[in-house]
Amino acid sequence: MDKTAIVTGGGRGIGRAIVVRLLRDGWRVVTCGRGAEPEDLPAGAIWVQGDVATSEGWAALLSAAGPVQALVNNAGVQVEKTVIDSTDADYDQVMDVNCRGTFNMCRAVLPRMTDQGGAIVNIGSVSGVVSDPTMALYNASKAFVHALTRSIAVDHGPNVRCNAIRPGWIMTAMAEDAFALARDPDAARSDALARHPVGRFGKPEDIANMVAWLLTDEASYISGECFTIDGGMTAASPLNPGLF
Amino acid sequence: MTLEGKTAFVTGGRGGIGRAIVARFLREGATVYAGDLTEQGSLAAHDADGSNFVKLDVTSETDVMAAMERVTGEQGKLDILVNAAGIEIEKTIEDTTLDEWNKSFAVNCTGTFLTSKYALPLLRVAAKSGRTASVINFGSYDGFIADPGLAAYCATKGAVHALTRAMACDHGPEGIRVNAVCPGYVDTPMLQSFFKGEGSGGNGGDIETLQKAVRDVHPMRSYGSPDDIANLVNWLAGDEARYASGQLWVLDGGLSAQVQQMKL
Repeated sequence: MDKTAIVTGGGRGIGRAIVVRLLRDGWRVVTCGRGAEPEDLPAGAIWVQGDVATSEGWAALLSAAGPVQALVNNAGVQVEKTVIDSTDADYDQVMDVNCRGTFNMCRAVLPRMTDQGGAIVNIGSVSGVVSDPTMALYNASKAFVHALTRSIAVDHGPNVRCNAIRPGWIMTAMAEDAFALARDPDAARSDALARHPVGRFGKPEDIANMVAWLLTDEASYISGECFTIDGGMTAASPLNPGLF
Repeated sequence: MTLEGKTAFVTGGRGGIGRAIVARFLREGATVYAGDLTEQGSLAAHDADGSNFVKLDVTSETDVMAAMERVTGEQGKLDILVNAAGIEIEKTIEDTTLDEWNKSFAVNCTGTFLTSKYALPLLRVAAKSGRTASVINFGSYDGFIADPGLAAYCATKGAVHALTRAMACDHGPEGIRVNAVCPGYVDTPMLQSFFKGEGSGGNGGDIETLQKAVRDVHPMRSYGSPDDIANLVNWLAGDEARYASGQLWVLDGGLSAQVQQMKL
């Protein structure tokens, strides 16, 4: 029997790479997004249109998936504002998707998983540990994800493992936009590259690789951890006189 | 005055940060011993400050034993030990000689070990008074994240962090608290040397421009002064901190709270 994985936010970016990888690894993959099914969704992936922050959204996803052995909470949004500038609507948007959505999905799959076994991988962020400027709500929402990850691991073992991945700079359309808006896009890009010891930015596949591994039996003793994948960026001080 | 009646020993007590700690302890009413290689220390000028100078190489077991014997004879107890002596080698591991590596560990780690080891009997006496004794080690934010070209220094500070927790576990039951202060960029001779160093990007160029750039990366828009560090050391040394132990206290103007600051 096929094992089923739910990947939230599989329409693009990191989520899409995870969908592709898990399909390749033989998982039956159910994914979702707030829009209609993307035309380029890989064959075999099951699309559910819905918002994980709402009860209708997660219920539809669960009903399409049936019993699941893996849950990957990847869906996320960001609002680029400081605390002073953030509105109630900004707060609701970020917390609904990044926090409530992750919570909803975990709560929905855990009762069966606790009996039958399974693994959860949440996508946090290095920003939940060290702050990205003007991303206050996003940074806070990712710290929520890290702490929830540990709580689930502690409360719902031994059959359930729960871990988080903290990506750094992953080159998605969102990151490309940031360079395009810089005063000097070329200088901005080379400066950012120099802050990555491995000499490149992350790719969505880098995150998908670890998700895939965390869902295997190779990782059967790993639970409650948050792993940083950032090409070494946060191992270095933000102060690098060589880059002034 | 929060430290009246207390005796304190500060290694590196004539250096940039150590000097500020000595001055603060004296203002708070403590009897202070300042250990250092020379009476002048790393600062260009030194005013008489009322501390008791102890000529001390923290890597020498003989020196350390003699220093603690002197405190035993003159005070009979030690309430506060601050391990502020430290050096940094500005190199990658490939460029670091074995001698430089060993010297880094000798001063930053072995020194902390030796002074703590021989101060323990005196710290126990102080703790029997009903007030806790306090050891304050010097870690660094570099023990958590790396500055480029400071490999041995980063490694020694990581070791000090682990030693701090181990000492806190072992000697807490005796009423001895052990903490580490982990500074970021502080305006000391060590930092000025870093500004001038080849690995820093300074390369003997415009130091003021470099200093401004360093300030601007900090959320507080400045790097620290030795007094900023002395403020925290003073608090950890005193009775207000009687429940604080085994912790690594980062003091860096918010520097390491941020992710890399991209030029966007």
